[in-house]
Amino acid sequence: MVEIVPPAFIFILGALLIPLLRDRRVRQVLQLLIPVIAFIDLLYMPKGSYWIYDFLGYNLILGKVDKLSMCFGYVFVIMAFLGMVYALHVRDVGQHVAAFLYIGSALGVTFAGDLFTLFAFWEIMAISSVFLIWYQRDSAALDAGFRYIMVHIFGGCALLSGIIIYVVNTGSTHFDPIQYGGLASQFILLGFIINAAVPPFHAWLSDSYPEATVTGSVFLTAFTTKSAVYVLLRAFAGVELLVWLGAIMAVYGVVYAVLENDIRRLLAYHIISQVGYMVCGVGLGSELAMNGSTAHAFCHILYKALLFMGAAAVIHVTGRRKLTELQGRNLHKQMPVCLSLYMIGGFSISAVPLFNGFVSKSMVVAAAGELHRPMIYLLLHLASIGTFLHTGLKLPYGTWFGRVPEGEKIDEVEAREPPLNMLIAMGMTAFLCIYTGVYPKVLYDLLPYPVHYYPYTPYHVVTMMQLLLLTAAAFWIYIDKLGGEATMSLDTDWFYRKPGLLLLWFCIHPLQNLRLALQRSVAGMVVGVTSLSRNPILLPEIALRYLHLKVVNGLYRISGPSEQRAEALKNLESRITELRHMNYDENLYRRPIGLGVLLAIILLFFYGLIYYIRLR
Amino acid sequence: MAKILKYIFLIGIGLSILIGLFFRPEHPHFWWEKLPAFDAIFGFVGCILIVLGSKALGHHWIQKDEDYYNG
Repeated sequence: MVEIVPPAFIFILGALLIPLLRDRRVRQVLQLLIPVIAFIDLLYMPKGSYWIYDFLGYNLILGKVDKLSMCFGYVFVIMAFLGMVYALHVRDVGQHVAAFLYIGSALGVTFAGDLFTLFAFWEIMAISSVFLIWYQRDSAALDAGFRYIMVHIFGGCALLSGIIIYVVNTGSTHFDPIQYGGLASQFILLGFIINAAVPPFHAWLSDSYPEATVTGSVFLTAFTTKSAVYVLLRAFAGVELLVWLGAIMAVYGVVYAVLENDIRRLLAYHIISQVGYMVCGVGLGSELAMNGSTAHAFCHILYKALLFMGAAAVIHVTGRRKLTELQGRNLHKQMPVCLSLYMIGGFSISAVPLFNGFVSKSMVVAAAGELHRPMIYLLLHLASIGTFLHTGLKLPYGTWFGRVPEGEKIDEVEAREPPLNMLIAMGMTAFLCIYTGVYPKVLYDLLPYPVHYYPYTPYHVVTMMQLLLLTAAAFWIYIDKLGGEATMSLDTDWFYRKPGLLLLWFCIHPLQNLRLALQRSVAGMVVGVTSLSRNPILLPEIALRYLHLKVVNGLYRISGPSEQRAEALKNLESRITELRHMNYDENLYRRPIGLGVLLAIILLFFYGLIYYIRLR
Repeated sequence: MAKILKYIFLIGIGLSILIGLFFRPEHPHFWWEKLPAFDAIFGFVGCILIVLGSKALGHHWIQKDEDYYNG
């Protein structure tokens, strides 16, 4: 009988095994086998709390299993498999190790039943994921990775502070819904929303994801933000603050996507926008909204991975990542399959009927309607327009079709379809996007609450089509205005990048100069002391001669030139140099032994005298 | 080809608005849901607003030279 184990351990064990396998084929088999084993493991995991271990008087719970955690668990493992197929050709073993650790820790967070386990996996997630950025091995990735890890360490510290205050206040380490209000909950919430990339704490995402490796970015899109959505769903359902943060976030990402030139950064801003729907759903807190958030997280992982796979495939074959370098090159001729699969992702995120975004995004929007929140409803609706505009129209048009601005030369770019394993991964992801879109029951059955929501009403389908078609019409009008512009966009990372640069400047210039000046003066002193201590006995003589030299020099200046004095000066100078270079030689200074005895007797006499006076 | 696509697109818009007139929401939550073709108008105006608004914001403030942080 095979025991079930925490799925996190399957991946972490896999991460340890992979570097031991020398044969590439065997390693590839293992890479695909581990998610499959984890999936089977999930199927056998019963509901309830188990895998409880005692730790310093607290319980560590590694298996808190209910419908909510199961839903995230399934999609994480499915995504692990799809991402591994996509990354199968990568020879860099380190990337696979980092990816497995990252996935494992995300699953650890998902099934954590207590705050300490949660925190531990939370930190492993941050530390392992940064390697998916660093393995890109260029200076931009290195810098972005450092900024990424620093933001996450800050978030982790906030979370830990919150957890400690919470545990001290309540005495419980269980990961249950947390009453919002008070320092503990605010710190924990801060830690969570930094990982969910809620503005103004979102800049790490759009900063670092586009710098990651081609295959690493696909993993990154799935786990960090969605595990944050999961913990928010678990702990902070119904917090009003999140409603507004989520709605603003949804529009915020859209606005930045208009301005973006880097294709993966554009998609990264749309992660922020889409996670906005989920955060908003958490805040709304009704059953429909919570179901909507969960369903949208599930669908989002699939279609966003597909979009990143498509964009990263273009980067993989052309080496270019900017719309300004891709538009007008008509890449659709060389990579039609990749484009078609990308478009399935584009239609899914845009909530076109029959694709999975349609059945999940609309749940959150409908929940806002049901709760009579007109502003939220309109903001989310507006974000839908922007989503289709960018990921469904602007990005594919600019990348695979597009026009070159007048006067600019077109350089030839070599392109072809990406490697087969990438296309297969995209195909499988696309299939899942359509499958859950056409047959939403399979998704709805996984959701935490019973679903009484029917996306395919004629009214809903028709209004959605109106919204999308007219968005496309407006895109058509502004088609030339929406080409890429070779700029970067200021974002809230300004608040740490600029002061960071200032700090660096301060270290390189004033601080460095101060150090050099100090070093120089201390070194000068050392040189002086060294030359003085070469022969201390001659010091009085040197001083005397030096004085003599100065006097003669002075006289020489007053009385005017005279050959005799010039001669004397020369003699003196050479004598001083000679003295200064004369090393101490004790044979030169030997005195008769009697002198020593005499000095000793004199000292003894004074010692006796003082002793005698004191005694009296 | 492009011309045919253009016509299909325009016919699609016309059809969606036309069909939309016959289906009303069962439980309208807001007054605008009762307006005919509201989503079409919202989509068109909203898209223009997003493009113009973001571009204005970008050109006057947010967009900087590519080596802003390295220059």
